[in-house]
Amino acid sequence: MIFFFVLLLLVLIAQIAEFFIPALPWLYNAHVYIVPVIVFYGAMALPFPLMLSLALFAGVLLDALTVQVIGGKVEISAGSSILIYGVLAGLMHGLRPLFARGRWEVHCVLSGVFTSLIVLAQYLMITFRRGSFVFNREVWWQVAGPGLVAMAMAPIVFWFLQWIGRVTAYSYQPERGRIE
Amino acid sequence: MSRTNIIALLIFGAILGYFLTFGPTTTQKFKTGVYQLLAPFFTGGSGLKKQLTSVRSGLKSLDQLEHENANLQVENRELRATNQGLRDAENEVNRLRHALNYRERSVFKLIAAEIVARDSSTWWRTVTINRGRRDGIEIDMPVATDEGLIGKITTVSDSISVVLLISDENCRVAAKVEGSREQGIVSGERVTTGLTPLLNLNFLSKQADLKPGQKVYTSGVGGVFPSGLLIGSVKTFRVRELDGQAQVTPVVDLSHLEDVFVVTGRK
Repeated sequence: MIFFFVLLLLVLIAQIAEFFIPALPWLYNAHVYIVPVIVFYGAMALPFPLMLSLALFAGVLLDALTVQVIGGKVEISAGSSILIYGVLAGLMHGLRPLFARGRWEVHCVLSGVFTSLIVLAQYLMITFRRGSFVFNREVWWQVAGPGLVAMAMAPIVFWFLQWIGRVTAYSYQPERGRIE
Repeated sequence: MSRTNIIALLIFGAILGYFLTFGPTTTQKFKTGVYQLLAPFFTGGSGLKKQLTSVRSGLKSLDQLEHENANLQVENRELRATNQGLRDAENEVNRLRHALNYRERSVFKLIAAEIVARDSSTWWRTVTINRGRRDGIEIDMPVATDEGLIGKITTVSDSISVVLLISDENCRVAAKVEGSREQGIVSGERVTTGLTPLLNLNFLSKQADLKPGQKVYTSGVGGVFPSGLLIGSVKTFRVRELDGQAQVTPVVDLSHLEDVFVVTGRK
């Protein structure tokens, strides 16, 4: 349980830290997203109910800090990030047995792919609201860039979180009908 | 699926459903509330970032000094570091004096603010400033520097506010072009990859024939932005099927903002 609260705290810190990390000019100004990597790690490491709680917390934060209300209109409904995180974290949770056996490579790659999917989903939603469907090379790079960065970061973040798990004496064994 | 998991899924669904029912007003309140809670982290984070940047630049100059002057005494290095610190302080004093002068000579009533955080998302271009409701900031107030317009306020908490930059596609500004009767709407582009984003001035007449370098100002139409704030200068002009469109280079370097002013009205 301590590990779960540590993950919540790390999500909060990472979400705020993202505001102070500049975009990468050499990668089409791709932004660095740390929160999804932590959430997807939590999806593999935590039991189902706690995984949903973590996804809910990250989604609420993302909605609150990024959604813009302009001229009385909301571009992306509050809750949409919760839904996206919930679905993607649920998919990642399905790969938990592989993770429990110590195989991380698929999860690292998927963390990148899913991070890009979050950015893509946001883009599709704003495109739907604003109209004029634009899909050029820049858009693809802005979608793929954060995913590539997340993919590169994932092994380090996973290793760090694994270490925190050990420090907090967290057991990674899949649950058998109980939370802890 | 176990009973615990089903209950967890139902609770998750219920909370999700609750959030999805939020209208614009509730969403704004929710956003404001979260910003209010996180305001100390933003202001604290901004201070920490400044300290880290200062330490990093200090180390850089130390490396250079070591490389160039291997035989210098430790005392000499300390003196140079102190000197560097004083120069930084002098630069800051000059910057603030410049800002203060602008506030005094401006025809607008201005509230000085500092950028504490930049946008963290890919598709919206915003910055967070260290002024809020307590300082008299309200939604839709224009934000400018001594060079020109940078955006408008979209979210206000007690101590911090979010500014939507003019480089965002959603920030639309009624504008006029210097030396012509042309008026149009300036807005940003959805996707920008360069460090200096370009703006689009739409709905011009086809006969506008604007020349590069012509200045673009706010026209005051719409009531959000007062007239006479410089936005940028025309880069190119092209005739489209129904109207004319100019690309405008913003006068303010939006990637290096530090001190800004919130325009609260005219003097």
